[in-house]
Amino acid sequence: MNLKYNGQEKVPAPMDAVWAFVRDPDKVGRCLPDVVEVTVHDPQHFDAVVQVAVGPVRGKFKLKFEMTANEATHHVDMKVSGGGFGSAVDLTATADLADGGAGTTLLNWSGEAIARGPVAAVGGRVLDGQAKKLIEQTFATVSQRVRQA
Amino acid sequence: MSADVKAGHAIGVAMKRKEDPRFVQGKGHYVDDFSFPGMLFMALVRSPYPHATIKSIDISAAMKVPGVKAVITGKDLEAAGLGWLPTFHGLDKQMVLAIGKVLFQYQEVAAVFAESREAAADGAEQVQVDYDPLPVVADPFASKTDTVLLRPDREQKTNHIYHWEVGDRDRTDQTLAKSAKRVKQRIWFQRCHPAPLEPCGCVAFFDTMGRLQFYVTSQAPHVYRTALSLVTGIPEDRIHVISPDIGGGFGNKVPVYPGYVCAVVGALKLGHPVKWIETRTENLTSTGFARDYHMDVELGATADGKLTAVKVATTADHGAFDCAADPTKYPAGMFGICTGSYDVPVAHAEVDAYFTNKAPGGIAYRCSFRVTEASYAIERTMDVLADELGIDAVELRRKNFVKKEQFPYASALGFTYDSGDYEKTLQKALDTIGYQALLKEQQEKRARGELMGIGFSTFTEVVGAGPSKHFDILGIKMFDSAEIRIHPTGAGIVRAGTKSQGQGHETTWAQIVAEELGLDPQQIMVEEGDTDTAPYGLGTYASRSTPVAGAAIAMAARRIREKARKIAAHLLEVGEADVEWVDYRFQVKGVPAKTVTMKEVAFAAYTNMAQNEPGLEATFYYDPPNMTFPNGTYVAVVDVDRETGEVKVRRFLAVDDCGTIINPMIVEGQVHGGLTEGFAIAFMQEIQYDADGNNLNTNFTDYLVPTAQEAPHWETAQTVTPSPHHPIGAKGVGESPNVGSPAAFVNAVVDALSPLGVRHLEMPVTREKVWRAIREAEAGKGKAART
Repeated sequence: MNLKYNGQEKVPAPMDAVWAFVRDPDKVGRCLPDVVEVTVHDPQHFDAVVQVAVGPVRGKFKLKFEMTANEATHHVDMKVSGGGFGSAVDLTATADLADGGAGTTLLNWSGEAIARGPVAAVGGRVLDGQAKKLIEQTFATVSQRVRQA
Repeated sequence: MSADVKAGHAIGVAMKRKEDPRFVQGKGHYVDDFSFPGMLFMALVRSPYPHATIKSIDISAAMKVPGVKAVITGKDLEAAGLGWLPTFHGLDKQMVLAIGKVLFQYQEVAAVFAESREAAADGAEQVQVDYDPLPVVADPFASKTDTVLLRPDREQKTNHIYHWEVGDRDRTDQTLAKSAKRVKQRIWFQRCHPAPLEPCGCVAFFDTMGRLQFYVTSQAPHVYRTALSLVTGIPEDRIHVISPDIGGGFGNKVPVYPGYVCAVVGALKLGHPVKWIETRTENLTSTGFARDYHMDVELGATADGKLTAVKVATTADHGAFDCAADPTKYPAGMFGICTGSYDVPVAHAEVDAYFTNKAPGGIAYRCSFRVTEASYAIERTMDVLADELGIDAVELRRKNFVKKEQFPYASALGFTYDSGDYEKTLQKALDTIGYQALLKEQQEKRARGELMGIGFSTFTEVVGAGPSKHFDILGIKMFDSAEIRIHPTGAGIVRAGTKSQGQGHETTWAQIVAEELGLDPQQIMVEEGDTDTAPYGLGTYASRSTPVAGAAIAMAARRIREKARKIAAHLLEVGEADVEWVDYRFQVKGVPAKTVTMKEVAFAAYTNMAQNEPGLEATFYYDPPNMTFPNGTYVAVVDVDRETGEVKVRRFLAVDDCGTIINPMIVEGQVHGGLTEGFAIAFMQEIQYDADGNNLNTNFTDYLVPTAQEAPHWETAQTVTPSPHHPIGAKGVGESPNVGSPAAFVNAVVDALSPLGVRHLEMPVTREKVWRAIREAEAGKGKAART
């Protein structure tokens, strides 16, 4: 199952603050919904364990993250791979920051996910909506945490 | 419908099934019911990827799970020389556990052994496999381009597995070109799965003598023993295969699966018994699927509807490995039966098979190796031809039937049909269903805009593989066998190389022995499935039990009768030449008062045998001279809801001709079961894969199995045209209803929609498909649906 999403968050914080936040793997990792554990290896690499429930399929996903950032263009690429309970997901996401004026920052994001195994088969009917919700929730949490920081 | 049977007179009696008291009381003994001290449980790690390189497998976390004893991977098996498993017809081999890469979703990657089923599952969850995804080929037509080479392990660097053909291509093409009428239809017989209620499983252990005791749900225990010996190198005398009660097989339990090899390896390595029982999802996603044939069917005919030629070109999707379990010389099975019940002057059939990133298989699902596909192709296309010619589908069939006096009939594609009376069977169906009244009703309904359809299937199938000059599996000829021992009291035991999975052998085999020997069938015990005690046989599938083993039983019984005649002569104090077998007993020729029963002879065989060798037993290995050709006329009557696309099967009549009927109640039961499967295939079932190679039908909420609630009421009837070459004239019936019914269902739905211009619908004929066809037709796209 191939799923594509994109969206925009308007973060009520200046771009420098947002940029500093999204470059911190530990902070980004903890914005994942139902995250259980985040292990940072270096500024580019971290692992996360998240609780997943798609339809009748429930369990923990172990995910590997690889982030590459372009300071000059305020662009972040993220590759995520992993899975659990016989399922696998591969995800690529990008985020671009732009000045939103009046001390705000626009966070434009897009993501593409491929799900395989029971999570795709059994959860097929509800997966699309669930995945969209999870991704939106992640970026909404980023926005919220930056504001709080 | 049941009856008691006296000594003799046993064939044709609806005797109650001897096995049923056990089954209805929940006392059946299935493989999962066997447990042994110290037994470990095995769980398999399966790939979520349909096609990916395995970069690494880390078992360390799994080994830390409490209760986990060992984890084995493809590398371990490869090092032991057990990395690959030969497939039954010998054209391909299959990975036991993935080596280097995975080729289908849910492929076996590692085996985890633990003290409990739960610990094994937890351990499997902790095996970390690092995959690198590869491009997925989920379509056989994409596979043809060889853009992605799926099997670099093979010598032939192509995804094409084999080309098989039969018949005269040039003459068929020439005849088609000259024919007044020519129709073409692309037909897909979708990928489906037998889905036996009991999934596959085994228990393996090495006993104190170092002998492998292997309990397994196998339709062919002797073939398993030989295959296990060939694969593992364990001498065959040190392998004991026991196939206990089986909860449905339908072809799914013919192949040897990777899990079985892993369980044996685990038992050997760990010195403990190992049990492995599949989950429902594992059964549906990794074990033998059926069909998946894309068929281009072409018929030529004269203007008045006499067939001139039949041509079928097929693209077959075999998945990741060619595990089709077909006889060696028949990679496309008996597909040559695609000329059906019709006298066709010239024909050609060919099959090209391809690898894809899907589960491997292509097994004979209640079908004598691709007979269902072939029957569906011809029976569906006959309706297309009738539609094009404007001839009634029944008349078209009648016009082209092989006539009663033409048997034995040599078909254009190389079979010799043994016997049949198609006209009589059809007429019985028409009379029973009330065809003329139905036609009248249909006309009236059509005038009111209502959609009612009548669909026919007048199929012939070919079963009972098979004669040794043509048929073998792994080189072993496809004979079957029986051993009968009659005890001093006239009771007895019969053992056969077959294995019942619900067919009722414990009853029908006893009836054959009782009929041949004039004994009480209630006192003839039947034992199958134990390779230490049963004579070597090829097993139960392809409707071969009665045609082959049933014949062996009759012949073994006749050997006993010959021996008994000598003892009878001694008891009657006459020469052997003066003894005849009359009315189930021995009699002095011309002296009806001087008789002796088989029961008396049996006692004498142990107490008063004179100069004769003591005992009363015989073994017979039967090599059939030909296949048998059961046939039938099936009629479906449907009403289609124009607004919702819902199809209601109002009536369904199956008139079968399976030759001599041993037990009419069992035949009726077999027909009911097969029709219910055919109904599911026609309307509900498909193993679908998305473009990324995800299997979308992994459980019974997505792969539907009809219950009594969904299934229509089945009407059955018979005609009896015995097989001239079978000792008791029986032909076998197990698969007829599954082979014959899908075309009747689909023909009925298409007939209902034909006023809208619909000419074909692909199975499963779901409400959505029907609804869309109606909407498209109503939107003036009727012609588009006629492609």
